[in-house]
Amino acid sequence: MRDFVLKRIVAVIIPFISLYGFYVILHGAISPGGSFAGGIIVALSVIAFATIFGLDRAKEKLPEKILVWTESYGTLWYVLMGLVGIVKGVPFLSNRLAGINLGVPGTLSAGGLIALIGIGVGIRVASTMITLFFTMMEEEK
Amino acid sequence: MAGVITVNLPVFLIILPLVAAFILPTIGRRQRLQENLLLVVGSLGILGAGYLAYLVMDGGISSVYQMGGWPAPWGIELQVDGLAAFFLLVITFVLFPVFLFSRGNLAEEVGGREKTARFYVLILLLGGALAGMALTNDLFNVYVLVEVATISCVGLVSSRNHPLSAEAAFRYLILATFGSALILGGIGFIYIITGHLNMGFAAQELAQVWQYRPHVVWMALIFLLTGFGIKAALFPLHLWLPDAHSIAPTPASALLSGLAVKGYLICLFKFFYRVAGPFLLQELAIDKIMKWAGLLGIVLASLMAIRQDELKRRLAFSTVAQIGYLFLGASLLNTRGLAGTFFYLASHAVIKAALFLSAGTMLAATGKEKVSQLAGIGRKMPVTTAVFTIASLGLVGVPLFSGFVGKWYLLLGALDGGDFLSALVIIGGSVLCAAYLFPVVRLAYFEPAEIEEAEDPGIPQKIALVFLAVLVVLLGVMPGTVLDLAGRAALDLLTP
Amino acid sequence: MRILLEKLLINYPFFFAIILFVMGAFTVLTRSNLFKKLIGINIMEGGIFLFFVAAGNIKGGAVPILVENNPGMTYINPLTSALMLTGIVVSVSVTAFALALIIRLYKIYGTVDARRIAEMRKEVKERWQE
Repeated sequence: MRDFVLKRIVAVIIPFISLYGFYVILHGAISPGGSFAGGIIVALSVIAFATIFGLDRAKEKLPEKILVWTESYGTLWYVLMGLVGIVKGVPFLSNRLAGINLGVPGTLSAGGLIALIGIGVGIRVASTMITLFFTMMEEEK
Repeated sequence: MAGVITVNLPVFLIILPLVAAFILPTIGRRQRLQENLLLVVGSLGILGAGYLAYLVMDGGISSVYQMGGWPAPWGIELQVDGLAAFFLLVITFVLFPVFLFSRGNLAEEVGGREKTARFYVLILLLGGALAGMALTNDLFNVYVLVEVATISCVGLVSSRNHPLSAEAAFRYLILATFGSALILGGIGFIYIITGHLNMGFAAQELAQVWQYRPHVVWMALIFLLTGFGIKAALFPLHLWLPDAHSIAPTPASALLSGLAVKGYLICLFKFFYRVAGPFLLQELAIDKIMKWAGLLGIVLASLMAIRQDELKRRLAFSTVAQIGYLFLGASLLNTRGLAGTFFYLASHAVIKAALFLSAGTMLAATGKEKVSQLAGIGRKMPVTTAVFTIASLGLVGVPLFSGFVGKWYLLLGALDGGDFLSALVIIGGSVLCAAYLFPVVRLAYFEPAEIEEAEDPGIPQKIALVFLAVLVVLLGVMPGTVLDLAGRAALDLLTP
Repeated sequence: MRILLEKLLINYPFFFAIILFVMGAFTVLTRSNLFKKLIGINIMEGGIFLFFVAAGNIKGGAVPILVENNPGMTYINPLTSALMLTGIVVSVSVTAFALALIIRLYKIYGTVDARRIAEMRKEVKERWQE
């Protein structure tokens, strides 16, 4: 799998895959996809890197500590965003009631809290998938 | 500040264990910090659940909480009523001793000090999911929480460092996911007919629509009964339970047998009583199915428990038998029967946790597994065996212990409905229960000791065991407040 | 009989969803290979997803993304698709967990056949206790 052609192509294409993943995460409210699917796509770019360039190089770039931290704090970001409403006196996870300005429907800010939460969840899902892949590849050796 | 906490208390009770679960992996190295965090979570949980119960009985809190401020048919609601307060109390009062018990005791069962963090995360996720199950009023939210609880339970079963644990966990996972797919199918049927995911609205719609589509409603209820029956170990669907609960680490067994199966039962109560209603249950003969499954479960599982020689397997079969009692109580459609069922649920949770924790301590200290090898342990480990004896007396239903009050109300409920067979089986079940628990007590106290050295566990474990034993006795001698809360829960469930 | 066939032809997505569900359930219960049981679970859940998504469909409805404020437009029901996104996440997690358990079982028992694993229980337990 460490072929010359594959390495060149994957090196060019990985940033585009990651960018597409972030696009899907952020546009969760106004197009199909959302945080989960976008997170998986971001993870796919790292998995492609690990498959072609070798597991050890991928582990150097993404050590276990970073993965554990993004997993925990991605989910805590969700809870934190929910608590924004409670601080202002409205129920948990409030969107418009908490004073977030939902702009014109159809633009990026139309989701309000949804896009913000989506970033945290997307990164978290990506790091979970990457951890799963690394664990299964470890078993191979 | 106090106002903010009071109004949002239901959500805080769900978020608390979840936030602790998310923080724990990052402090995976420092075991003291993890255990102290767990104790903080446990104590806050008890305080919060107690305060919530006080508010519900007093009327100081609104009975619906809308997530995100979206009103009923569009948003997810949390229903803060007697049932939620009751089950939250049960969860927190059983979680706290289990946290206390696992201080410094866990490492060799899970296979190393690094793996204790993973174990604690699973317990906290299970606690959060159960708290959500107590409170939710939305059909699909129940499915999500059931899945979180299932995956946490399977993780707990598979975290033991023993070759059979992977097999038990895999069988549990496949059967439980089968049940989840059935539950989702049942939710789908109800959603298609009624068009609502909120339980209150779905109930209103269902009452008008069911006569045009009785077959679909019947399918939905049977799917739900089978799906939740697989997870709550209803009689013919309990085949995964003896392996899974006996092979799990001791604190996990206590939680699984004591709380997890009860959580699924509470969800089933919500579906059957809030959405379908007692009239529909009788009309479609669902209550008869539950009654007969419960009766068969009590008799057959108790008989199988008598035949088991390994102590933890005996306790696991006992769980199946007691779940039969709860399903029998669920099929009695009157208030006294339901109040008795809830009280018995609480008392069994405490008793089973005490039984598993003390049995696990005895087995770990002596290194044996079978009942016949535990002769004379009463003199070597007095505190542990005393707790085991008190919990056994409670389970059998001796007066002055908690099981008696629960069984008494179940008997009254059965006789209210004119059902003499059920009353007979309830009493017979107690006799069978004595038949599989008292020999252990007799062997422990009245036989000469065959084991060399065994001693009582350390201070945190002793405090946890004594805490549970005291609860068993308190519930039996002064059941007043808890019985009131159980009655309130039954009333809130039966009246829409 | 004719009414039954007509109703079946109108509701064909539900029909196929139930067929998928039953096929998946049959695979889980009768096949002894652990991987096949897992695939059966996935097929079963696929049937349920199809059931829900087909329930939300409205003939001639538009994609449920709010672009402009048009009061007369019929959108299909977005709720069912959103619920099934959650269901798919759950299915992926369960599959990942089951695969990890299968890997662990293979390391201990050397086989992925459920019947052989059940037979080998005693020997594996005795071998571990030494």
